[in-house]
Amino acid sequence: MKQIIVHQEKCTACRECEVACSFAHEGVFVPALSRIRVNDFYEEQFYLPMTCVHCADAPCATVCPTVAIEKEADGQILVHEQRCIGCKMCLLACPFGVMGFHPEVGVAQNCDLCRNVAEGPQCVQFCVPQALEYAEVETAAAAKQKIYAATIQQSLLSQH
Amino acid sequence: MPAPYVLIGNSAAALAAVDGIRRFDRRGRIVLLNREKGPAYSRVALPYFVAGERRLEDLLIRQGPDYQRLGVELMDEATVTAIDAAAKQLRLADGRQVAFGKLLVATGSSCVIPPIRGLETVPRHYLWTLADAQGMKAAAEKARSAVVIGGGFIGMLAAEALRKLDVRLTIVEMAPQLLPQLLDGEGGRLFAQAVAAAGVTLRLGSTVAAVARQGEQIEVSLKGGESIAADMIAVAAGVQPNLSCVAGGACATGKGILVDEHLQTDKADIFAAGDVAEAGDFLSEARAIHAIWPTAVEQGRVAGANMAGKSIAYGGSLGMNVVELFNVTLAELGRFRETAADDVHLLGGSAGGLYRKVVVDGAGYLVGAMYVGDENGVAEMGVIHGMIKRRARWRELADFKLPRFTYATTIHGRGRTVPARAR
Repeated sequence: MKQIIVHQEKCTACRECEVACSFAHEGVFVPALSRIRVNDFYEEQFYLPMTCVHCADAPCATVCPTVAIEKEADGQILVHEQRCIGCKMCLLACPFGVMGFHPEVGVAQNCDLCRNVAEGPQCVQFCVPQALEYAEVETAAAAKQKIYAATIQQSLLSQH
Repeated sequence: MPAPYVLIGNSAAALAAVDGIRRFDRRGRIVLLNREKGPAYSRVALPYFVAGERRLEDLLIRQGPDYQRLGVELMDEATVTAIDAAAKQLRLADGRQVAFGKLLVATGSSCVIPPIRGLETVPRHYLWTLADAQGMKAAAEKARSAVVIGGGFIGMLAAEALRKLDVRLTIVEMAPQLLPQLLDGEGGRLFAQAVAAAGVTLRLGSTVAAVARQGEQIEVSLKGGESIAADMIAVAAGVQPNLSCVAGGACATGKGILVDEHLQTDKADIFAAGDVAEAGDFLSEARAIHAIWPTAVEQGRVAGANMAGKSIAYGGSLGMNVVELFNVTLAELGRFRETAADDVHLLGGSAGGLYRKVVVDGAGYLVGAMYVGDENGVAEMGVIHGMIKRRARWRELADFKLPRFTYATTIHGRGRTVPARAR
């Protein structure tokens, strides 16, 4: 399936992704409502955007007592807001801490890959440094592996 | 035709077992014996139904066509009275007999009826089945005051639902704190402050001796002499596994039905899962009953797969719960009440009503956590949950630098300045 791939080394923590996500889903520019969150470690100058990874065997879906979280045929983990009672069991189950909660509506929310936006995920569209990419997971993983292998190769060769 | 898979139950464990069976056996006949009537509903959603926040149809977690799609025959109002393990035969209350090839006992649990004098003589409300919830809702819409007997998980959910309907509340709890299964003493103290601030009268460390009709009202008498009159009473004294169908000795029992790591009882073709099963515990060698939805689903899936001929071991259940009550979010994981051998680490202390605690065992492994605060801290508890499940040490969490608040959370607080989205 196509997913949001994070190239951590390119992230500058500009937070355009958060603003774009909030606007796409809520119609307001409020990063706190974003379903993607840039985690910042300023001292180390390390920034890591994180959002739902749409697990194959998703703990959030397993624990949901109202079957409000289901894996769609395309692999997406989708929260059905009408069935969600806001119990937060999914937040307690997500080992990545990426399940969100809408403070006003009182329901769980995760990245829906902008399924209702024709142009696709808005965080990716507005990511200037191109730290986010919307791509097939398998292809992206292989490409990433190649890049890291090349980096390791370079550093090993330079030692000789 | 081979004898079918028979599942006693129609909730989390039994429905997950259907999924577990169907992963490996697409055609085998499955019969679901439902003690109640109609398609499955979520017990967890009942308080929201009482409060008028959810409609009846929103509670359903399976519809008729779902059973058809999965090839499941649902038998309504089928209460199993006896299991003949040798003859692989069940007897129902109405005399019908059902033969099984593989059997899953997923009968769940039901409310404990506390020993209170006069309890049978007055109208009283539990919050466990859909019928209970309908009765409580009808009574609450007319009542102006209520006494909730029991300040545990269900009692507090009932209290929250009644409060939303503007019913004036008194909560009587035997333990010296509210929610003893969810909070330690300090957490209980913080939570009790929030409950009392909402105008609820609390009687902690108190036991109800008797109840009696007093005109249109019910008089609740506490041991020690005090008595409280109210328009209705809600009773929530805990739950116990439904073991009556195996009372004849169909399989070995302890507190619940004893099962091995494959969720099989001491009889080859009989399995148990959910609130009724005493199964492997993630944190100890002993067996435990964690009467929570996630455990029921996990066990149901494993039991179903094993009934279909697989050999999958269950990794053991870990207690977990989260709930928002009286505008406070509470969450617990694993062994959140420390023993003498454990270390306790407070993250953030209890300033501002926020209380975060992690329990570490003598060997340095994370074994439990507890949280009192707003909804923003639950996702972090999820990360700790993942760490407990992969047997992480405290060191890893101590070194883990939690990301600073983003400017968004700083500027907008909890995002409450945002206009509400139309539902």
